[in-house]
Amino acid sequence: MTTEKKDDRLYGYAGKILRINLTDSTTEIIDSRKYLPEWIGGRALAHKIFWEEVGPGVGAFDPENKLIFADGPAGGTAIPTGGRAVMCGVAANNLPEQYASSSIGGWVGTVMKYAGYDALIIEGKAPRHTYLLIDDDKVSFLNADAIWGMLISDAQEAIFLAHGRDTFSMVIGPAGEHMVRDATITTSNDHTLSKAGFGAVFGSKNLKGIAFHGTGDITPYDIDKVLELRLKIGDYQHIPNPVTHQTRMKSVAYDVPAPNGWDYGKLACSPGCNSRCQRLMMNMTDAFTGEKVSQIEKCTSPAAFTLKNDFYMPVGTWVTSPMNGRSVGAQRSWAKPYDKNDPDYEIVSQMWGGDTVNYWNADFDRGAMLNQLCKEYGIDKWDFIIWNMTWISMCKQEGLLTDLDFGMEPDPESPEFIRHFIKIITYRTGPEVTLIDGSKRPIGDVFAEHMARAIRMLGKEKYGDSIYHGRYSNILKKPLDIPVSLEGGWGQCSHWHGRGFSGSQKWFWCANMMLDMVNTRDAMASGHTHVSTDEYKKILAEGPCYSQTLANAVLRTENTAILTDSVPCCEWQSNEPFYPEENAEQLYAATGEKYTPEELLKKADRARLLFRAILMRNYGRCRDQEVEEIYPFLTFPDPGGDYATWEEWNDWVDLYYKTVGWDLATGWPFRSTWEAAGLKEIADEMEKLGKLPPEGGTPGYVRKENPFNGHIRKVPQEYHF
Amino acid sequence: MAKHIEKAPLEYSMCTGCVSCEMVCSMVHEGYVSPQTKRLFFKAGPVKTMLHEIYTCQQCDDHPCYEACPKKDEAMCIDENGIVYVNEKNCIGCGKCAKACKFTPSRIHVVKSKDKEERKAKKCDLCRTRPEGPACVQWCPFMCLAVSDRLPWEERQETDQS
Ligand code: SF4
Ligand code: SF4
Ligand code: SF4
Ligand code: SF4
Repeated sequence: MTTEKKDDRLYGYAGKILRINLTDSTTEIIDSRKYLPEWIGGRALAHKIFWEEVGPGVGAFDPENKLIFADGPAGGTAIPTGGRAVMCGVAANNLPEQYASSSIGGWVGTVMKYAGYDALIIEGKAPRHTYLLIDDDKVSFLNADAIWGMLISDAQEAIFLAHGRDTFSMVIGPAGEHMVRDATITTSNDHTLSKAGFGAVFGSKNLKGIAFHGTGDITPYDIDKVLELRLKIGDYQHIPNPVTHQTRMKSVAYDVPAPNGWDYGKLACSPGCNSRCQRLMMNMTDAFTGEKVSQIEKCTSPAAFTLKNDFYMPVGTWVTSPMNGRSVGAQRSWAKPYDKNDPDYEIVSQMWGGDTVNYWNADFDRGAMLNQLCKEYGIDKWDFIIWNMTWISMCKQEGLLTDLDFGMEPDPESPEFIRHFIKIITYRTGPEVTLIDGSKRPIGDVFAEHMARAIRMLGKEKYGDSIYHGRYSNILKKPLDIPVSLEGGWGQCSHWHGRGFSGSQKWFWCANMMLDMVNTRDAMASGHTHVSTDEYKKILAEGPCYSQTLANAVLRTENTAILTDSVPCCEWQSNEPFYPEENAEQLYAATGEKYTPEELLKKADRARLLFRAILMRNYGRCRDQEVEEIYPFLTFPDPGGDYATWEEWNDWVDLYYKTVGWDLATGWPFRSTWEAAGLKEIADEMEKLGKLPPEGGTPGYVRKENPFNGHIRKVPQEYHF
Repeated sequence: MAKHIEKAPLEYSMCTGCVSCEMVCSMVHEGYVSPQTKRLFFKAGPVKTMLHEIYTCQQCDDHPCYEACPKKDEAMCIDENGIVYVNEKNCIGCGKCAKACKFTPSRIHVVKSKDKEERKAKKCDLCRTRPEGPACVQWCPFMCLAVSDRLPWEERQETDQS
């Protein structure tokens, strides 16, 4: 890093970190310089704070759990996509409970910075229902009795009413209050911290929400550069954004007629963004009051309308060439069409996947209702739709639900059942069912523990590992096996795992499952693998599990995901294979700190390794643990009939560990690896903990035999609930 | 009415709620981004509809804000093009202009300077000294804002009709 800043001001940052102790309603100000700009912000900053402050043995719902809500230097600077923020802490929605991060749009991160804070450290447990009002220097612990129990929108509107429309909040709904493990924290423009289940952690802390009002200022270092980036990053086309009337909900994977039509607008997720990835569906019917409302839909919500075929995408969604460089991810819908004369056209335009899965047929109104119920109760749409509902569908078709009393006939196509099911989960009610250990609990209470735990409570062999016979490969023209529970690993729903929900090619799911393996949650939040067409050709030639090119791309994805969540910016609007300077340019414009892309990747390396250190110290993370966690689901065939053998997957793990400098036997970094990332003190700590493998590798390491005996149903897993 | 900033109708372009207009307005005038120093105001729509509003100064012909200023023509001024603007150097921060604005919320913010020593009125000056014209118009990514004498949505309608 070269230092040639005009002065030593902390440009781009707010300057303070606010510690909030809910137990005794006290606060403490920490000078941001303790951590910044050294740890960038966002996720990297949170890793550093968590490493220092939360040791082993802290569960998601313990008052000792700390939630770190952090923005980065791009927040509040008008650098496009820079308005996002992250939350980190011990997550409720993974199994076992581990430290995880979740990212969010909305206005809250930026307004927190206007109030003067780069991050919050939320700790303890409030003695009564509370919401926080952070109004510049003044932090109030307010009685939340009047809004406790309210649906998300009602609580948001009540906060607007009480504190003005310049006060932006994030709140939990009834699901978070009841500590439903996949509960969200939701902003007033419907952006959520979802997959880590931090809404349930808010509930455990008696915290309904946080409202921010700020009147301070954020000074970007180089305003001309900020404006230049507004023409370079994201969607800089400067074209109108008209509302259009639609009569269908349509993409390559689905086509749902909308009997009464709907109005389609697009919104940005966060301050300063020049993109509009959020589909605003207007004139929809409120699932609670019947009035006309708007819904934000993205990613998975179309699956609520129909899930007859799996979600698949052109290979060009993940493989980018300069031709379709801007069409990665969300920009696809308005990017230029592919150039059919381009030599890479064939690669990027090919389709892969498209299994017929027969989970439910198209019904626009039912889908709208399902999405809205998830939003208002504050439950993660992804998990509820792609895991709970597909499970209901598959189990019903396999005749597995006859012993379970839901209080009404389970049916994934019945609006009445959906309404009932989500409600009994939210409030932990419903008829009692007998669990595998003989105890009884209301069925909604069981599913409120989320799918991974619920299935183990009910009996995994039957309710998790039974084979669904309704899946049909349109590539192979034959049925393919898939388990009734789409569990990816770490208690998380499958997501771009190439089978069951989102068909993809083997190299792609190998990459994504490696990312998931070394993480604690679905890593496809800010870490979808993207490669260039040249890399793609090499990967196929080398073979997915043996490709150094792919291992390098996975490492790049991991590191850029950390930067994405630290700067912060938006992965969907980034284009790392063709614009490696993007994060460095954002950081320079915001802070004046000059890094080369290589220097920045080193910073990301350090944060990634600190995350590894947290997992090793707090949760005993090692090779066997993570390989056995991720392997079962990839024994099922992808749409082309491909899967990974135990040997293959372990060869791939060996290759990745070698790439990142970890011991093959233990999955622990060597001293040289820690030290190369500037983490000598962590190496010393690991040595004390007996977790520093000898340089060159554990002598005499022999790969473990396949503990699954070739089939997921033989997995002898012990879980405590 | 004199030239002023207008927001597009939904059929032409929907406001995405990105608040880039506010941020850039503050940034080009002050060198930093702050909700205090923006000269146009984003109002978040109801949570259930998310149809957002932008409030702008209308550069009123009768300019009551100007009339109310005790330092008329020194602090609150009108330029040769009829743009009502604040010459902050001479503004005493009395807030009379903000009170006199015909609109609610007032299109003028009177705020403490960064050193908290004095208060100054912040009012849309149509970016009169910027060669590129109004920054909010230039940097709204979705062409939701335009100067009233040249509204692309009206131009398009005319073309459509012809
Ligand atoms: S500040 Fe208010 S009264 Fe003055 S010109 Fe603008 S809109 Fe009119
Ligand atoms: S605040 Fe300034 S511009 Fe407004 S009335 Fe007072 S002196 Fe005039
Ligand atoms: S015209 Fe200029 S001063 Fe007026 S609101 Fe737009 S950016 Fe601000
Ligand atoms: S910049 Fe445009 S789209 Fe963004 S808030 Fe302002 S008017 Fe709306």
